[in-house]
Amino acid sequence: MTRVSFDASARVHTQSAAYTTDYKRHSLMILLSAAVLLLVMLIAGWLTDPAAMTVQLENRNLQPSLQHLFGTDWLGRDMFARTMKGLLLSIQTGLTGAVCSAMIAAVLGISAALLGRQADRFISWLMDLFLSVPHLVALILTAFVCGGGMKGIVIGIALTHWPALARLIRAEAMQLMTAQYVLVSRRLGRSLFWIAGRHLLPHLLPQLVVGGLLLFPHAILHEAAITFIGLGLPPHQPAVGIILSESMRYLSSGMWWLAVLPGAALLVAVRIFDVLGSHTQRLLDPQQYERL
Amino acid sequence: MFVWIAAVMALLSGCSGQEGGTEAAERPDKLVIAVGSEPEGGFDPAAGWGLYGSPLFQSTLLKRDNDLKIVNDLATGWTVSGDGLTWTVEIRKDAVFSDGQPLTARDVKFTFETVRNSASIVDLTNLDQVVVKDEYTVSFRLKQPQSTFIARLITTGIIPEHAYDEQYAFRPIGSGPYVLKQWDRGQQIIVDANPDYYGQKPGFEQITFLFLGEDAAYAAARAGEVDLAYIPASLSGTKVPGMRLESVHSVDNRGIMFPYVPSGDRTADGRPVGNDVTSDPAIRQAVNVAVDRQGLVDGILEGHGSPAYTASDGLPWWNEQTIIRDNEPERASSLLEDGGWRDADGDGIREKDGLKAEFVLLYPAGDVIRQSLALAAAEMVKKAGIHMIVEGKSWEDIEQGMHESAVLFGWGSHDPLEMYNLYSSSFMGVEYYNPGYYSNPEVDRWLNKAMHALTEEEALAYWKNAQWDGQNGLSAAGDAPWAWLVNIDHLYLVREGLDIGRQRIQPHGHGWPITDNISEWHWKDE
Repeated sequence: MTRVSFDASARVHTQSAAYTTDYKRHSLMILLSAAVLLLVMLIAGWLTDPAAMTVQLENRNLQPSLQHLFGTDWLGRDMFARTMKGLLLSIQTGLTGAVCSAMIAAVLGISAALLGRQADRFISWLMDLFLSVPHLVALILTAFVCGGGMKGIVIGIALTHWPALARLIRAEAMQLMTAQYVLVSRRLGRSLFWIAGRHLLPHLLPQLVVGGLLLFPHAILHEAAITFIGLGLPPHQPAVGIILSESMRYLSSGMWWLAVLPGAALLVAVRIFDVLGSHTQRLLDPQQYERL
Repeated sequence: MFVWIAAVMALLSGCSGQEGGTEAAERPDKLVIAVGSEPEGGFDPAAGWGLYGSPLFQSTLLKRDNDLKIVNDLATGWTVSGDGLTWTVEIRKDAVFSDGQPLTARDVKFTFETVRNSASIVDLTNLDQVVVKDEYTVSFRLKQPQSTFIARLITTGIIPEHAYDEQYAFRPIGSGPYVLKQWDRGQQIIVDANPDYYGQKPGFEQITFLFLGEDAAYAAARAGEVDLAYIPASLSGTKVPGMRLESVHSVDNRGIMFPYVPSGDRTADGRPVGNDVTSDPAIRQAVNVAVDRQGLVDGILEGHGSPAYTASDGLPWWNEQTIIRDNEPERASSLLEDGGWRDADGDGIREKDGLKAEFVLLYPAGDVIRQSLALAAAEMVKKAGIHMIVEGKSWEDIEQGMHESAVLFGWGSHDPLEMYNLYSSSFMGVEYYNPGYYSNPEVDRWLNKAMHALTEEEALAYWKNAQWDGQNGLSAAGDAPWAWLVNIDHLYLVREGLDIGRQRIQPHGHGWPITDNISEWHWKDE
């Protein structure tokens, strides 16, 4: 009787241990393959011969084939090359936007916890303010104020995506501020800056990395959205949003590949980042990956 | 919306009703068409209504027939004095406004004075005064002789003096073939035939104009909801059951305007003027020779267009000698060689005295056709070693840069005055006219002669000489201040059996111009 129960409990134990390692290995595998896929996409975009994107009127409106994987548009430009270039641009924008957002979130979140009640109140108000304005509206406004161009879009994305992450960082930092070692550190007369750098930041780094990664898909989608409505970039620049909005005009004449394939590519890219983010989170923060 | 649906329903039931075949004349006398956007300023000729297409509600003194010949409408005859300064027009006695009041010379006087005093796009500054000679005779005194004044008599709809107020643009009263029945802002207007119209009775009792974009018009045509729709060239390839494609020639042209003078100057408000590359005639000629106009027509307009050589191809004042041979990059190259442009560093772009043969070509960002033309033309001139840097901008930005950068513009008018405005040195930098600061004294001389000619026939010869007189000219055969690329055919889907008459060469603007002969439209008898 006891043997059986011991066996059973032992088995349960080993099973759960095996499960954790499997789980980690599984996540790592997914993470790696996603990263490789992403790298391939980036390299494809980077290596694309600009000559493929030039106007070749004799090759216009071709269906997808081996020569033109995504077909060609009404000016004979290769859609695969344009899509890859567009995605590269999206990823660059997303990267800059996400990094800037994460930095803003880190600075504001930690300051809120560190600098006392008045500062916290002000920063919370700021977060609420930014959260209350829909992303797209704020993006359009910033892009417009910055007079168009890549700059406006990047600034817009950086300025709109930080509040959710900042909130999380603030809550975490608040909790840390009451931890024994931080309290001791303060008693020992360490400066707030030292505490932020030595105690808070290392502890918060996983959250920041995961949060930043998970901002990526948002940033890319918003970049696509804002170029879709024609703000910012010149219309012959290959950006995913521009490609998609162009394709709208040709849908009724049956040129489905102009919308479907670049759209699918965008979906894949966004999904890869989503997978990257959530699996990094599982690896870095196995207990609380539900929280973000 | 409901009215629209109701109209469509009525139409559909009308269509199915004639299946029985008992009466051939059972075709509906109502028409639903989608040919353009809503006229923002309403239907007031003083605000520019009727410049393109039929004024519908008003009628004009003269009009052009389907061959673009000038014929009487309200007028019964007109004379020009020997000095070209006085134009006397006699008008018909049976014309009445749709409120029953007769149309007299006083209304004509009132109309032209109102148009002159309004700040609209209609330029009547040369009109000195209008004199009512008697009830049905009116004379116009000009400050200077102006042969193109006749275009004002053709396009200006006569408005009633007794019923003109601020609300007129929304409740137009006139002597035209139709009266406005209903206007749903942003959606449609419904017009009824004017029972008091003096001319030929229109073929339809009621016409509904839906204000749809080109794509939406196409969708509506596919759904069988409209009898006539204007569509973009990109959608011309697919057949729509029950509709036929009408392709109408136009002078709705697109071309590249080059800054004509070297850089250095600025306008009064500080915008830079001139470009060192495009001020070289070899560059301008080479672009003109290198582009493949027919290739652009086939590739971008899907064949629905024609190569353009001037702003007025096919019009009575067009000089056919302006046609040049193009799609010859080798000849363009040798023109450039002769002009001193050589590719010394082997990057595919020629240089001259350290100056690269490259310049910016601006196009309005929202316009796909212009974007496509700009990109394709840039690709074509690259073969000759010229680099056009294509940039899409808003019209505000283009205005800032149009004196120092090449711009892909579009023009095309039934009034030769446009040629004067585009090429005369007196219009350098005036609004969008002559933004490249083109000037040639010989061309100016011909243009002024044409303007001051007493009759249109006399003026025609001068207009043609201005384009090319054997030595000088504003066309590509001469100074080539522009590289005109294509004339865009206007495409319409028309329901089988609907006869829209013989369409004339249409001016700039896709849509409304088709209504020019709207009172001639009818169902074909079968």
